[in-house]
Amino acid sequence: MQQSKLKTIYLSLLLAFICLLLPWSGFMLTIRPEFLLLIIIFWLIRAPNLCNVGTAWFAGLLMDIATGGTFGQYALAYTVTAFFAVMYQRRLVLFSGTQQLVYVGLLLLISQISLLILKIFAGMQLIGWTYFLPSVTGVLLWRLAVFFGLTATGRSRGT
Amino acid sequence: MARGYNHKIEQQQAPAFFVRGSSPFARLVFFSSLSLALIATDSRLQYLNGVRQTLVGVLHPLQVLANAPAQLYGDVIEYFVTHNHLLNENQQLKQQALKQNIALQRLSTLALENNHLRQLLEANQALVESSVLGEIMHVGRDPFTKKVIVNRGKVHHIIVGEAVVDAKGVIGQVTRSYPLSSEVTLITDKSLAIPIQVERNGLRAIAFGNGRDNTLDLPYLPSNVDIRRGDKLVTSGIDGIYPAGLAVAAVSQIEITADSPFARITCAPIGGVENHKQVLLVSIPHIGFPEIVDVPPSPVGDLPATKPKMSPSIKPVQPMLEKPQSGSTSKPYAAE
Repeated sequence: MQQSKLKTIYLSLLLAFICLLLPWSGFMLTIRPEFLLLIIIFWLIRAPNLCNVGTAWFAGLLMDIATGGTFGQYALAYTVTAFFAVMYQRRLVLFSGTQQLVYVGLLLLISQISLLILKIFAGMQLIGWTYFLPSVTGVLLWRLAVFFGLTATGRSRGT
Repeated sequence: MARGYNHKIEQQQAPAFFVRGSSPFARLVFFSSLSLALIATDSRLQYLNGVRQTLVGVLHPLQVLANAPAQLYGDVIEYFVTHNHLLNENQQLKQQALKQNIALQRLSTLALENNHLRQLLEANQALVESSVLGEIMHVGRDPFTKKVIVNRGKVHHIIVGEAVVDAKGVIGQVTRSYPLSSEVTLITDKSLAIPIQVERNGLRAIAFGNGRDNTLDLPYLPSNVDIRRGDKLVTSGIDGIYPAGLAVAAVSQIEITADSPFARITCAPIGGVENHKQVLLVSIPHIGFPEIVDVPPSPVGDLPATKPKMSPSIKPVQPMLEKPQSGSTSKPYAAE
């Protein structure tokens, strides 16, 4: 049971990574949601015994390789995000659907802001408010997943 | 959930919901410090370049897989391009070829003449650079930088520092080469500088990418500099990386304000920086050129005055070259 679930986790992470590798460009690149982080958050909430901060770190490292940036930037951002996700994981069951969405949105923002800070330290140019659009599309994607009956807490709810 | 109840569950076989292993905070501290160590190592030391190359090489099949649908779509669309369109294009290309043939004829005589003059001056021959045709696989994923990934790499003898051009002009420079692909930083990226020359009057300067929009800046030029709107900027070739005379940008805006001793000059790139798929990777015309590690602009044997602040490691390469050129250091663009 655990074995098969672990396989599911890695398979979903691989799929998310391939989604990321698709040749995005232009506006689509600007709004591209963080597939990998979304999947990580999902599993962090659903199966914290199989997917933890370390998994997020590895996923972040994968992002670093894919983006070609300095090693460790995405890794750190994802680690911090994963920590917050795990912190409130047990409380999340009591959240309503909307609250859960806000929570996921906040997590995505945390990752983006920590990445922004790291990039500013590295002397990168700011790119304006459109930088935060992936968080918005990420939340929308999460809502879509919930709509199709995929809930992170493991039980379906009315809303 | 009451605390006592929770405790009781953990003593029995705890359900997956509660199992956690070591505390998340400990993991946070561990992995954060690991990340910080990685960031420090990667940005200050060059140990991880080999690791990155290997990893990107391993990921390459996955990349090809991800590109496949778009590639297929493009191929299908291309297949359905109408006959008429192709005929038109053929006609146009024929005309173009004719025109270029004429220009080429003149060029060959000019080249001969140039050769002769160079011999008279006993100057070095300008090398004819070899080049490799590459195709842009995808745009860089980092929203902070302007980069593209090209499907030619170490296997095709692409090395770091090569100029990347399209039919119209320079679009960037290879900043990392992986086994089967290479990363090209576009000239509009903030971190890329390119030594240029104003075609009209030969004034030399360095153009920096703006980073924000698709433009280049010409900083550190005095407000009385002889540059007009529409001036064409070409590569000067004195950096030993870009072949001389390639079109880079055209001056699009000049702002001279009373409060600054420098003019604010904005240029628009001439090459299709954001819109082509095929590019040419031109090899460095220098033999025995030291491999540049990270920062793309590397004016080897350059005038000290035109040297950008970066890449201090390459400074003492060719002291011989500096002597004959030192007469031109008094040019007005001498930056601080």
